[in-house]
Amino acid sequence: MPSTESKDRLHGTLDALVLKTLSWGPRHGYAVARWLEETTGNAIQVEEGSLYPALYRMERKGWIEAEWGMSELGRKAKFYKLTARGRKQLQSETSEWAAFARAVSSVLSPSG
Amino acid sequence: MPRLGFGRRQLSSPIWRASVEDEVDAELAFHVEMRVREYMAHGMDEATARATAVARFGDIRKVNAECRTIGNQRERTMERSEYLRELVLDIRFGFRQLLKAPAFTAIAVLTLALGVGATTAIFSAVEAVVLRPFPYPAADRLVFAFTHYTFGDGGVSIGDWNDWRRRSKSFSQLGAFQFRGVTVSTGETPDRVTAAFASADIFPMYGLTPQIGRVFTAEENQPGRDAVIVLSDGLWRRMFAGARDVLGRTLTVAGRPYTIIGVMPREFDPTDSHEDFWAPSAYSPGQLAFHDEHFLTIVGRLKPGVTMTSAQREMDEIARQLSTEFPQTNKGSGVRLRSLTQAIIGDYRLRLFVVLGAVLCVLLIACGNVANLLLARGAARAKELAVRAAIGAGRGRIIRQLLTESVVLALISALVGLALAWAAIHVLIGAAPPTIPRLAATRLDWPVVAFALAVAVASAIVFGLVPAIRASSGDLQSALREGGRSAIASARDRVRSILVIAEVSVALTLLAGAGLLIRSAFYLSRVDPGFDVKGLISARVALGPPSDTATAASDAEQAFARILNEVKGRPGIAGAAITSAAPLGAGSGSNGLVPEGKEPSPTNAIDSRLRMVSPGYLRMMRIPVVRGRDIDERDVRGGLRVMVVSEALAKAAWPNQDPIGKRVACCEGAPDDPRWKTVVGVAADVHTGGPTQDIRPEFYIPIVQAPADAWRWVNRTMTVVARAASGDASSIAPTVRASVKSIDPSLPVYGVASMTERLDQSMAEARFHLELLVSLGAVGLLLAAAGIYSVIAYFVTLRRHEIGVRMALGASVADIMRLMTWQGLRPVIGGAVLGALAAVWATRLLRGSLYGVTSSDPATFAAVTIVLLLVSLLAIVIPARRVSAVDPTTALHG
Repeated sequence: MPSTESKDRLHGTLDALVLKTLSWGPRHGYAVARWLEETTGNAIQVEEGSLYPALYRMERKGWIEAEWGMSELGRKAKFYKLTARGRKQLQSETSEWAAFARAVSSVLSPSG
Repeated sequence: MPRLGFGRRQLSSPIWRASVEDEVDAELAFHVEMRVREYMAHGMDEATARATAVARFGDIRKVNAECRTIGNQRERTMERSEYLRELVLDIRFGFRQLLKAPAFTAIAVLTLALGVGATTAIFSAVEAVVLRPFPYPAADRLVFAFTHYTFGDGGVSIGDWNDWRRRSKSFSQLGAFQFRGVTVSTGETPDRVTAAFASADIFPMYGLTPQIGRVFTAEENQPGRDAVIVLSDGLWRRMFAGARDVLGRTLTVAGRPYTIIGVMPREFDPTDSHEDFWAPSAYSPGQLAFHDEHFLTIVGRLKPGVTMTSAQREMDEIARQLSTEFPQTNKGSGVRLRSLTQAIIGDYRLRLFVVLGAVLCVLLIACGNVANLLLARGAARAKELAVRAAIGAGRGRIIRQLLTESVVLALISALVGLALAWAAIHVLIGAAPPTIPRLAATRLDWPVVAFALAVAVASAIVFGLVPAIRASSGDLQSALREGGRSAIASARDRVRSILVIAEVSVALTLLAGAGLLIRSAFYLSRVDPGFDVKGLISARVALGPPSDTATAASDAEQAFARILNEVKGRPGIAGAAITSAAPLGAGSGSNGLVPEGKEPSPTNAIDSRLRMVSPGYLRMMRIPVVRGRDIDERDVRGGLRVMVVSEALAKAAWPNQDPIGKRVACCEGAPDDPRWKTVVGVAADVHTGGPTQDIRPEFYIPIVQAPADAWRWVNRTMTVVARAASGDASSIAPTVRASVKSIDPSLPVYGVASMTERLDQSMAEARFHLELLVSLGAVGLLLAAAGIYSVIAYFVTLRRHEIGVRMALGASVADIMRLMTWQGLRPVIGGAVLGALAAVWATRLLRGSLYGVTSSDPATFAAVTIVLLLVSLLAIVIPARRVSAVDPTTALHG
């Protein structure tokens, strides 16, 4: 599975980012988007059009699970939380990304 | 203890979880709302903020739809796994429930295993005989072709076959088999086997290749080139121990050496005749133009696209042509095509399906009994189920759980049933007469196992559904309060009555069938075979090929005369005779007889069995001579040609006339010299084929006056019949063998059996059918009785209180017994009436197996109804007697 996933590097990257975001604790979709924007200094603008389907897809795969709860502003919101399987997935995505990044940078900026 | 987890799952889903659609809407709306606030916090007014947020989100409808799709997929996966999880829980729970009630489980499993096992065993026979395809490619394109007469179908003449083959366009091959008993040897002891002399095209026609070597070719069907032989797997293993180097060896067949060129695989048994080898037929041009003597078995393969109907139409036309071209031999006969299935399996199909129906009846009764047990258990478990319902388990969920328990029960029973079936199949094959085609191939294969499992699951639904619905519909309040003792008892009584009615009606149908077969068996045992079987033995003796064709006939006559003298002279022999065919034995051929005064054509011929006999044959067999005289020493070669006719033949040829002195043309001669034979006696009819076969016209002629061709017709083989002075036929078997060997030690003596044995064998199929249906009827009756017993026993327990009240009010034990008996008997009588109606319809299927009794014989129906009522009465009275043990005071306190 991971190999077919990694073919879709874009999906894979978004999934990894979302999983990483959730590794700090449960968040709703908006919070995930905001957290990503803020952490990367708006370098990564998460598109809602990709974020929500990604969340649903990962919920279906059992990487994350959702529960309705109260948001900070007192509104009902759907909170996502990392599952054990999701944590494992995050690890493998992270190391895959690291390998990928090393490979790309070795081409783009040869040592020296 | 009800498990609480059961209720929680049930509760959590519908109430707490919104639909996927609502969730997606709410979540996306929340997102947009949060963006709006974010922008407003940065100083936008609300309208601009909202517009910006919506614009930023992009195509919200598309995202929404995408999320819904994924969400719904997830929902379905979860439902499935939830269902599976519940199923596993239900199965585990079912096992625990069964273990907790070992007595119930044991009785239920045994009852069901009996039903499933018996059904499976019979189904395996049906599968082997009827359903399993023939092992030939496109076997449905293979057809048998018979000569068709008004009185039935028969073998084919070489000339007809040759002309059919040349003229028809419907067949890619049209092959011929000629079966003959022959003596074979490899140099040592001779062996008697069945040979098939066949045309080469039978091999490509059936599409099977030899396991070693080759098959013969059309060139080898030429006289002189035909000394090659293809062995059956059976003969190869028996005579050659399956040696691979058998090719090229020599096998002597009827005195002539043949070279072995191949061995066919075991499944090659083209006409179900179990022949031991195939050698090329080698017909001379004269034989190929000869349209008399019908002994060939013809099988053809329809060309692609040709239907059975169009082939039959073509053959009808060819038969019409032949009857105008060869009126002497072909007038009045036609062609009948039959599929391989029709020709080989024929009416065994119906008979086996009738037995399968009977065994399904037994299974139904077994299901009824288990349903009964489950009803009683459902009552006992009412409290547990009520608790479940109270904490939220829906009715459907409870029914599902109870049905799962039933399926678990049924599958355990199926395993036990398969073991029973395995044993039953062995008993079945051992007990069955060898004449039933393909039955020996019965085995417990995957289709049969699948059938057993399917039957078990279907039974689980039959016996489990009603009790499950009943149990789930209990009145919650009263069940919780009283443990479900009496609140729903009356409704259950009705269900139980219906069960009894159903069981009794099915049992009566079974018994009616069994009863009719018993009546048939009685009838058959009383049928006079027409001769005295006491101490009588018969044996076949085959002469070798003639050394000199000119004296072949007289040599054979003398050989058998010497054998007869030798047998007669031995001690212990009360009498002996020689005949071409003894009753109940092999070797009978038939000829068309034309009485003098009628046009000598096939339409006027009366098809009659020919028996060539030695003088005094009728007296020796104790076949009464009704008029005139027996064949005797006066009838010599060259003297007046005589014949003795059977009563059936006399009636057919000369109705209301004295046949003595009448003349008959038959078996030989030409229109200008019909070689008239004069009737000198009339013999009583003989049941030649055994009591199950109809009587057919027969005639007797002296061996010494037999037509020259006759020795060829009978393959130079005769039957020696001898009667033991002691009345014990088996005591003279060695005497007969020794007598023949003393004349010529190389002559094979075979088919030695007493007439009593043969009479028995002739009824073997009828008896087998009888044994099967009677045992099924008995099992059905016992199971039904057990069902009635348990219902009554349950009533008595359930009504202790009521009985106590009645007794306290002055009713005697006898009064209450009467009441219970009447109440128990009512559904039995209802069932008997229904059963009788069903039986009238069902027993019609048995018609082909009944002798001397009609399928709706009132006496039989009355008798089996009485048996059923008596057994039911017993099953009611025994448990009802427990009433007397009821002590009014304790019953009222309890």
